[in-house]
Amino acid sequence: MVIKQPNDKSHFILPDLGEGVHEAEIVRWCVAPGDPVKEHQTLAEMETDKALVEVPSPWSGVIKELHGKEGDIVNVGNTLVSYATQVEPDSPPPRTPEHVEPDESDDAGTVVGTVDSNLTVPASFSRQAPATPQDDVEKARATPAVRRIARDLEIDINAVSGTGRGGRVTASDVHERSIVAGTPLPTQADEVNAPTPLATPVSLPLEGVAQRIPFKGIRRKIAQSLLHSVQTAVHFTVVDEADVTELEKRRSGLEAFLGRRLSLLPFIMSAVCKGLQKHPMLNANVDDFIEEIQVMKHVNLGCAVDTDHGLMVPVINNADSLTIVQLADQIAQLASGCRDRTIERELLAGGTFTISNVGSAGGAFATPIINYPEVGILATGRTRERVLTKDGTFYAGSVLPLSLSCDHRVVDGAEGARFLQTVKDLLQNPTELLPEA
Amino acid sequence: MPVETVFETTIKRVSILDEHGRFDEELGADLIPDADLIKLYSHLVTCRHFDEIAFKLQRSGRMGTYPENRGQEATSLGAAYALRKTDWLVPCYRENAGLFWHGLPMEYVLLHWMGDERGNEIPDGVNVTPLAIPIGTQMLHAAGLAWSHKYRGDDTIACTFFGDGATSEGDFHEAMNFSANLELPVLFFCQNNSWAISVPTRIQCSAPTIAQRGVGYGMECIQVDGNDLFAVVKVVRDAAERARTTNKPTFIEAITYRLGDHTTADDARRYRDQEEVEMWELRDPLIRLRNHLDAKGLWDETRQAALLEQAEAHVVDVVKNAEEIEPLPATDMFAHMYKDMPAGLEEQARAMRTCSLGRLPGETIDQAAT
Repeated sequence: MVIKQPNDKSHFILPDLGEGVHEAEIVRWCVAPGDPVKEHQTLAEMETDKALVEVPSPWSGVIKELHGKEGDIVNVGNTLVSYATQVEPDSPPPRTPEHVEPDESDDAGTVVGTVDSNLTVPASFSRQAPATPQDDVEKARATPAVRRIARDLEIDINAVSGTGRGGRVTASDVHERSIVAGTPLPTQADEVNAPTPLATPVSLPLEGVAQRIPFKGIRRKIAQSLLHSVQTAVHFTVVDEADVTELEKRRSGLEAFLGRRLSLLPFIMSAVCKGLQKHPMLNANVDDFIEEIQVMKHVNLGCAVDTDHGLMVPVINNADSLTIVQLADQIAQLASGCRDRTIERELLAGGTFTISNVGSAGGAFATPIINYPEVGILATGRTRERVLTKDGTFYAGSVLPLSLSCDHRVVDGAEGARFLQTVKDLLQNPTELLPEA
Repeated sequence: MPVETVFETTIKRVSILDEHGRFDEELGADLIPDADLIKLYSHLVTCRHFDEIAFKLQRSGRMGTYPENRGQEATSLGAAYALRKTDWLVPCYRENAGLFWHGLPMEYVLLHWMGDERGNEIPDGVNVTPLAIPIGTQMLHAAGLAWSHKYRGDDTIACTFFGDGATSEGDFHEAMNFSANLELPVLFFCQNNSWAISVPTRIQCSAPTIAQRGVGYGMECIQVDGNDLFAVVKVVRDAAERARTTNKPTFIEAITYRLGDHTTADDARRYRDQEEVEMWELRDPLIRLRNHLDAKGLWDETRQAALLEQAEAHVVDVVKNAEEIEPLPATDMFAHMYKDMPAGLEEQARAMRTCSLGRLPGETIDQAAT
């Protein structure tokens, strides 16, 4: 890696002396403060983890200060020596006036013109880089994670002076700047966003493992997308219960009327579609590359399906234009396609919101993980009979646990709660969901 | 007769100017005119100085990494001198002297090691391929180049360079077999410098010579003193003639020695004896040629001093040219793989410009996306 040295040649930053060398020990200084040095003159002998090397001066000048004593370890990117103010600019040694063309006949005794007759630089070499309008702006050096923090705090990273290695802007530089600028520090939720290594080494027991399963195939795919989601979307979850006593009655009625089985799921899907029409910010995708929230026209409803080979999420396109029965048919078809793995790939992508019916297995509430780049997911628990109250009297009824997770970057808590309330209202007063039987 | 000898071979070694200064008049007479000899020596000295400066550029952080050429310069230079400018040099990465002689400007090699792709954009008319860092890949390219010229029916040939370690790679054997069977006009030039990074030749090849590896492919094989410029010129000239007239490839093993470290990321003192290095320092091709010029009365200290001064000034200019070239935007890295950029790469280039890494300061998302 090439380290950019200061333009004013005021100090020399220790470069990577090998490939991937991070530090070097000063074995012996070859210059002292006050010494004039020439370009390429050895400044010090240093030892890296790879080699004992001589470090030359990149330019001529007078040594002002040595940053470290023999035996000290200097990190790559830190100053090794500083130079007194440059008195005379670095001028190249005098050139031979003109390149004399070699005279083939009698140049046996001369040198001039024989050395570099075939070393002329072609014109194409000086091809200029396309000019960029911001060429004069000194660009800050920082990792993508730090750039992201700066962006989130709306701080121009190029205006922050870096204290990190090689003048890099660090996270704390940005935070310090934000305090000065009066921007609040990031909340806990923002911290979740910081990229974490995919795998940290952990010490695992060597014995007692019943089975070792390579992390691959669909399982690995699931793991990767979930990891990406939790590292990117800022999750928050809000839960509620819907009294579906009336809906269950209507559902039984409809089943009898149609002469077929209907689960609660298509009703929930219908309620979600209507809720999304009222709260369109939850029916969206986030494009983090171009930093854009894309609010979608139609609801492409993902529906988590538990299969033998793992979780799959087929998508019902334009679910908001379908009736309860159509939804029921579609989900049955997609689910069987997932289970026998005949489903087309296109039907496993492009969702705008997802429903996860964890209740079919058991359990009440959950903290569902968003199917990124969507911004919302609703998990429904198992319907159970409960003693409920209404207008001061008890009655036995059915309740459906609802757990909604949203990407807080896009949807605020109140908006999430309002959406959940809309869905709940629709499930409790299902007139809107159903044509009068 | 129940047991009979069906094949026998010998490997010959060519030496003309040995380390003691003895010159074989029979082989060496009229091989290189005196005027060229002076040019070649001047070139070697300039390349040696370039090598020293390039090494220091890396140590002072002005270049990413660099493999020293010191000690091996005569091999590639002898080959380049013996070939025509229209022939192809297909190098690995320790052939500066030959490449510069063939017409590659020194700046390109600096740019390459500084991480600038323009260093690999070889100027038109210079028949040199970019440095091949992955070991052994270039030999197949050379076979392909030679094949194309055979197909066209011209008498251009290719000469590819590689180290002793590369002859343990599969690509080497594929290229050798292909070239011998198809009768391609290509020279396989092995620079046996005794060390494949830290692995000595004797524990990567059980045969007494690397050269005999070519016998198995039915190829002409010859060994040469790689630090003897005359001998290298002689064997390459003969092999080139054979390739041009009969399309027969030749395998050349040049015995030389890497006096420096493998690269600037290596410390050879950790795995080889100083005595071995000192012995090879006495066989330095520059010293050998200088002594020969002195003996012939072609050289003196005044000329040496003038040459050094000129070499220094030239390299100063080269470094200046390479360091002062306008840097390219990072997205330039996408530009060189294909003639027309495929959609996938275009998408990556766009993403790079618009993500946190690539957006220019003060540029809005909309501006960056266009």
